[in-house]
Amino acid sequence: MAASAKGDFFDSSRAAVQDHELQRKLESASTRHLDHFAIVKEEFPSYEDEKTAAHRIKTDAIAHLDELLIQLTDKLQDSGCKVFFAEDAAEARKYIVDLVKSKGAQHVVKGKSMTTEEIELNPALAAAGIDPVETDLGEYIVQLRGEGPSHIITPAIHLSKEDIGQLFTDKFGTEYTAEPEKLTAEARERLRAIFLAADFGITGVNFAIAETGTLVVVENEGNGRLSSSMPETFVAVMGIEKVIPRLEDLSHFLEILARTATGQKLTTYTSFITGPRREGELDGPAEMHVVILDNGRSAMLADPVLREALNCIRCGACLNVCPIYRRIGGHAYKSVYPGPIGSIVSPNLFGSAAGYLPFASTLCGACKDICPVKIDIPRILLHLRWKETEGEHPLKWPAALERARSGARRFAGIARHPRTARLLGKIAAQMLKPFAHNGYLRWMPPPFGNWTKYRNFPRPHPQKRRPAPAENQAP
Amino acid sequence: MAEAHKILATIKTALEAGGQPDGHNHAAAPAPARKVAVTAGAERAELATSLARELEAVGGKFVGILSPDEVSNRIVLLAREIGATTVAIGEGVSIDMEEIGAALERADFKIVKTVPVADVERAAMRDRVANAELGIAEAEYGIASTGTLAVISTGTRPSSLTLLPTASLIIVQIDRVMADLAAVLASLGPTRLAEHRMTLITGPSRTADIEKRIVLGVHGPKALHLIVVWPRDE
Amino acid sequence: MNEVQLFSTCLAEEFFPEVNDAVATVLERLRVKVIPVRRAFCCGQVAFNEGLREEAVALARRFLKSVEPSKPIVVPSGSCTSMLKIFYSDLLVNEPALAEKAAAIRPWIFEFSQFLVNVLKVKYVGARYERAVAYHPSCHLMRELGVRNEPMTLLSAVSGIKLCELRDREECCGFGGMFSVKFAHISAAMLEDKMARIKESGAEVVVANDCGCLMQIGGGLSRAGAEIETRHLAEVLAAR
Repeated sequence: MAASAKGDFFDSSRAAVQDHELQRKLESASTRHLDHFAIVKEEFPSYEDEKTAAHRIKTDAIAHLDELLIQLTDKLQDSGCKVFFAEDAAEARKYIVDLVKSKGAQHVVKGKSMTTEEIELNPALAAAGIDPVETDLGEYIVQLRGEGPSHIITPAIHLSKEDIGQLFTDKFGTEYTAEPEKLTAEARERLRAIFLAADFGITGVNFAIAETGTLVVVENEGNGRLSSSMPETFVAVMGIEKVIPRLEDLSHFLEILARTATGQKLTTYTSFITGPRREGELDGPAEMHVVILDNGRSAMLADPVLREALNCIRCGACLNVCPIYRRIGGHAYKSVYPGPIGSIVSPNLFGSAAGYLPFASTLCGACKDICPVKIDIPRILLHLRWKETEGEHPLKWPAALERARSGARRFAGIARHPRTARLLGKIAAQMLKPFAHNGYLRWMPPPFGNWTKYRNFPRPHPQKRRPAPAENQAP
Repeated sequence: MAEAHKILATIKTALEAGGQPDGHNHAAAPAPARKVAVTAGAERAELATSLARELEAVGGKFVGILSPDEVSNRIVLLAREIGATTVAIGEGVSIDMEEIGAALERADFKIVKTVPVADVERAAMRDRVANAELGIAEAEYGIASTGTLAVISTGTRPSSLTLLPTASLIIVQIDRVMADLAAVLASLGPTRLAEHRMTLITGPSRTADIEKRIVLGVHGPKALHLIVVWPRDE
Repeated sequence: MNEVQLFSTCLAEEFFPEVNDAVATVLERLRVKVIPVRRAFCCGQVAFNEGLREEAVALARRFLKSVEPSKPIVVPSGSCTSMLKIFYSDLLVNEPALAEKAAAIRPWIFEFSQFLVNVLKVKYVGARYERAVAYHPSCHLMRELGVRNEPMTLLSAVSGIKLCELRDREECCGFGGMFSVKFAHISAAMLEDKMARIKESGAEVVVANDCGCLMQIGGGLSRAGAEIETRHLAEVLAAR
């Protein structure tokens, strides 16, 4: 599910903008979400201060990532965990698949984890003959449909309750219902039995506290608690950027994460897990493994501008406010990390097939405004655009768009000579004048053909016309 | 672990390449200024009220602020109200759960007591807890500003108690209700935290995965009841 | 008499010369002398946003040579103003001499409405405009420059105006420079929603402070055959 063939984003986004049903679903879900957020934000007078504190702590932690990871590893090992550093997705996958095999595990349950989506763990497990069960309701739904999540917080945001009702009927042969309560009850029933039988659990990690070796997992349903406490073997998968120095740093993050991600003051369940179960305890695994994943993150770290993106706590708020995400949905991005933050992360984790994403933005900045850790997303997107253009293997654009790009380049060349630019402007205006109607042109030659496919183009008319007209005639 | 060293070295090199914003050590970074509220007297009632209000706002049910003598009887009533037949109960933090268990037994409820288990007994014990209609646990702390209960699990107080039964009842001592999360984390401290699994619980299990509509009771309890208790010496 | 330099921007010069006329008219009525910046044509934003750094640096060099230091520079566009005021420091990171120059003029650069309200401290400019108007706030104006209330302050003071509420007005119109050509299908989907909101607002005229948005919204309304017109804020303020 990581970025696949080149040019895919153009096709998928073109299909998505035609899907008005999809837009309606995204619009109503995002709006409902933003309404929740507005209420809790209102009740949280120090929200801006919290954002500043969170930004500062995270930036500081990222700047000392090497020391913090050493400290975390020591503490994890002291508490009885086995720690594995994976350089890339393949290493992480192999470690987990081998572990599942060596334990002879029959029932693998997963809590919600974008990092395991990133490493494409499920297909790897399936290839080894193991069918992991996604237990977050949204993930469970998309897994039943054989797709990946379309949102990092709300995986099934692209589906209506009717879609899900039909899915359950098709898969389970149960009577059709579109009531969320009944559908949830059905999933609870089925998954509870699986949880109690599970012998291998996998979850992601929201924060790892270096000073104690504690992993913090945030969720609402209970799937994270169950996946981490019922099975005999438990694996937590985390990116290297998840580490924070101290326990006391955590309150800032937990409060802003809940507010921006789901509009809650605190998520329903926050588990603090330090090592496997102790002697005589009922819950917790006998064996606990922590996979710490690089997979392109250290390369982001080496770039002083890009580094800021590692502050991301995966709250998904930038997706909810993004006018582009809201038009095309998560799947169109062809990457497990969609939306504004995905457009930064994906090219760096999945390579050049996702290279178009930084360009697929109007840089409107709605994401930057809402970001709880103050990531300047538009600025980083611009930075990636330069890197892409100036890199050794510049992106290959579809021919028409390549023409548009060279058009921009030519324009910039001409604009350096204002007199020439103005003269050419006048010539263009003269040439186009006969084709204009009411001040607009219905058709323009390349590279503007794409523009006039959807809207008219203003007629160039670079003459002075002072004084300004009076406009008070009745319309 | 050769691999770990290799990756840590890569990270170190990357940090140097990206440039350190400043030279100071993270350990020396100033702790964010957040006041830890010291509470006493009448303020307690206010914090407990806030805890109750916030918990109800996320779908929790507040039973009341009770004196220790009232607790057992009220729990028996609650168990009847929700139609429970089996109640799972663990050891308290400061409250005498034996007394509550005895009262429930006298009222003809079946009791599942969570005691330390050997490996062979684990699955059976879990099934028993999962089949209980009510699980009773005492929280280490309450958090007034968010309606949260901090539950620490031990051999006699497993996490399952607040996770597997259909409904959950959490009891908290009034002097353990703090203003906010920062205060609780500060009071708990890193050493204590690292000893056991801790769970912050803010309401019954819930989801908004279907059209962002809130539904209670996904994998965890469908209902969460709260009792706040005055200490015995007051 | 105060003097300002007026940087027209390429879009206004080529497509909306009436905007520059209107800016000059309004400023002169407020007894400000307007000196056009004739030696520069474009701030370089198009190249910059396209990742064409070298080309953008050349245009920045040209611009910085063309303006006088220590004299206000008024720009009738939110995005060009943010380019000059904010993004030049990113663009010129490897050009210390230019970066220094850019930093020196930074405090002298103002978007048109910002200059009127925050520098000249005026709200009422003597304008009369008897039409129903919806204001579309441009993204860079709002989020990079923090200019959120100034245009409405000016519009509210116009005699005879009827201001219409534009739902979701802070959502981007979909222009985004080259984005509108390269990802035209997404841009158009955003535009479609913006136009629907404009239509339901009951406005006869849509006002924005950025020629990019005016091009996008105007082009869309024209294609749809809508009667609604687009105007730059300066044109409304210049009307009598």
